[in-house]
Amino acid sequence: MKNIRKICIWAIVIFIILAVGFRLVAAEGFSQGTVHSTMVTEKAVVGELLAGTSVTQTFRSECDQITGVTVLGTTYGNSVEDTLHFSLCNSQGDEIASASLDTVGLPDCEEWFVSFSNAPSGYRDQILTLNIVSENGLNNHAVSLFYGDSQSAGRYEVKVANEYPIIVNGTEMEGQLCLSVSGENIYKLARYYWAFVVILFGGLLLLCGWILHCTKVKKNTMVLRFITAFIKYRFLLKQLVSRDFKTKYKRSVLGVLWSLMNPLLTMMVMYIVFSTLFKSNISNFPVYLLTGIVCWNYFSEVTNACLTSITGNAALITKVYVPKYIYPVSRALSASVNLSLSLVPLFVVLLITKTQISPRWLLLPFPIVCLFAFSLGIGLLLASSMVFFHDTQFLWGVISMLWMYFTPIFYAVDIIPLKFLTLYKVNPLYHIIRIMRILLMDGVSPEPKAYILCLFASGVPLLLGALVFKTTQDRFALFL
Amino acid sequence: MIDVSHVSLCYRMPVEQYSGMKEFLLSAARGKLRYKNFWALNDISFSLGRGEVLGIIGTNGAGKSTLLKVISGILKPTKGTVSTEGNIVPMLELGSGFDFELTGRENIFLNGAILGYQEQFLLEKYDEIVEFSELGEFIEMPLRSYSSGMVTRLAFSIATVVKPDILIVDEILSVGDAAFQKKSEKRMLELMGGGTTVLLVSHSTKQISEVCEKALWLNKGTMVTIGNAVDVCQMYEAGI
Repeated sequence: MKNIRKICIWAIVIFIILAVGFRLVAAEGFSQGTVHSTMVTEKAVVGELLAGTSVTQTFRSECDQITGVTVLGTTYGNSVEDTLHFSLCNSQGDEIASASLDTVGLPDCEEWFVSFSNAPSGYRDQILTLNIVSENGLNNHAVSLFYGDSQSAGRYEVKVANEYPIIVNGTEMEGQLCLSVSGENIYKLARYYWAFVVILFGGLLLLCGWILHCTKVKKNTMVLRFITAFIKYRFLLKQLVSRDFKTKYKRSVLGVLWSLMNPLLTMMVMYIVFSTLFKSNISNFPVYLLTGIVCWNYFSEVTNACLTSITGNAALITKVYVPKYIYPVSRALSASVNLSLSLVPLFVVLLITKTQISPRWLLLPFPIVCLFAFSLGIGLLLASSMVFFHDTQFLWGVISMLWMYFTPIFYAVDIIPLKFLTLYKVNPLYHIIRIMRILLMDGVSPEPKAYILCLFASGVPLLLGALVFKTTQDRFALFL
Repeated sequence: MIDVSHVSLCYRMPVEQYSGMKEFLLSAARGKLRYKNFWALNDISFSLGRGEVLGIIGTNGAGKSTLLKVISGILKPTKGTVSTEGNIVPMLELGSGFDFELTGRENIFLNGAILGYQEQFLLEKYDEIVEFSELGEFIEMPLRSYSSGMVTRLAFSIATVVKPDILIVDEILSVGDAAFQKKSEKRMLELMGGGTTVLLVSHSTKQISEVCEKALWLNKGTMVTIGNAVDVCQMYEAGI
């Protein structure tokens, strides 16, 4: 009774700290995020922009608020005295923003950024048209802009659909302007954060009140049983985890060092393969790769350990009564100890590659907890399936290999053709690894939707796994 | 303390043996999944009070071990209910929770945790366990270097260090050499006499009638009779 009151108070205090702490740390990138659309690779120039020449490019806006555009231009090595007038129109043809660019002193063959001071907003997913007109370009004394029709993916160039071709002086050309639209995305969901927190807080208070009420009237509820079982078997869990950890490297010379070296060595092999054999254009590739490897290794370790957790402990399960979920949970926890060790080389690589240290790294426990929940969910499914069908372990070997290639560990998602992208987005690991990478590499918080997706991606498998495990566990002893 | 009411346990045995998922799914698809029901226990009811010692006798395959498993919660009865109070220590097969890579000391904590003891308790009783097991300095060695006698001695010492509310014993334990056997038997008798409810399975009617007050005769999963240990043992002997 006293214990339960203590647990309730702790739960409430921790919830408040987490809710406030999260909002403070996630400040940058949570309510709005900067986006830059990708530019096509340059193919040729559109020709000298003489006075009155207009270049028109239609595009679909990827952001709510457009702050500016970047074009790739050339001055042919001269110092050109011209002014380019940029105007942005909506689909009705009304001008929504305009700006001018003085061409004097512009670098040759480089990106030119033009900002829209009024930063029009509310144009997400709308078709907009950018019109660029030269004011006084003269023959042999004018600038030009690049256009192209492909995008780079690794060492290859992929043709892009020519939905909106570039129009120069009224004539359509094969390709699009080398254009990157910069803007801010405003995440409306972030506004409801506090409302969401308050609802959760109310729910937690109700739950605590209900549990306390149940203990008072000595009613035995599932939550209460779960808490008391957890208190009772906490020591056993601790023992099982420490057993796994002690025996894992018991007779190896390097011992625990292997937990640190394993991901590092895998990363080195993959790094060599993918930076020489298959060129990749991902920035900060070592960190990108290692984040993926650490997450995948953890998932693979948890699922494989859980797979045999019931069949491997058959001798115990048929002799001593212990809640059966203790076995897979203890295996998953031991793998988590390993994960925390393999985070050490990850941080070392982050320091070596001089990645900006960001307070957003404090949010890492979120994807890690989600990864734990997701892996445990799949592990529970596999553990109960294994009892009835021993084929599961062989099947899982193949499926997990497929899954690995299906997860963007060593490649970027943008090389995936658009039609397969939906398939990628149903992969829970994709969402979890994505959050990890945004936090570590960009140092900003992902958008609120990413968190919600991540919660769903881990919560649903966990619930499903727990449900299947719970309904089948009574029959385990008969099949072992 | 223990209340067993109308407990039945049914094993579903597939008529054909399925060696894997493919065959299973194929025959499931054909609608050929046939099971034969085997009732390992059939309508067993009895109750035991605190400190009572019940002996269970019966031929091989009578369901004695199954009954113990149902009472200790390992198997869930198909029908009927079992309710127990207090902690149960099963002494079914000693040392099944041992890890042979770990030292004796680490195994005391691991096996103790599996039997449901708390850390504080094990720390208090640690010296007592080591002393009783007579392992001396071997306690810091990994279990794989132990002789089988040493392993069972350690297991027995851990299992009996506590005074459980319910003790479940499958065949009385005679472990170790003659001296240790004597010591362990004394410990068992102490436990049985000390307010613990005991369920004891044995093939020896002599032992049952010596140690137990009550006895239960099982035959092919059904309860033949329950009553005074000496009477039931006599009936059992006359019956076979």
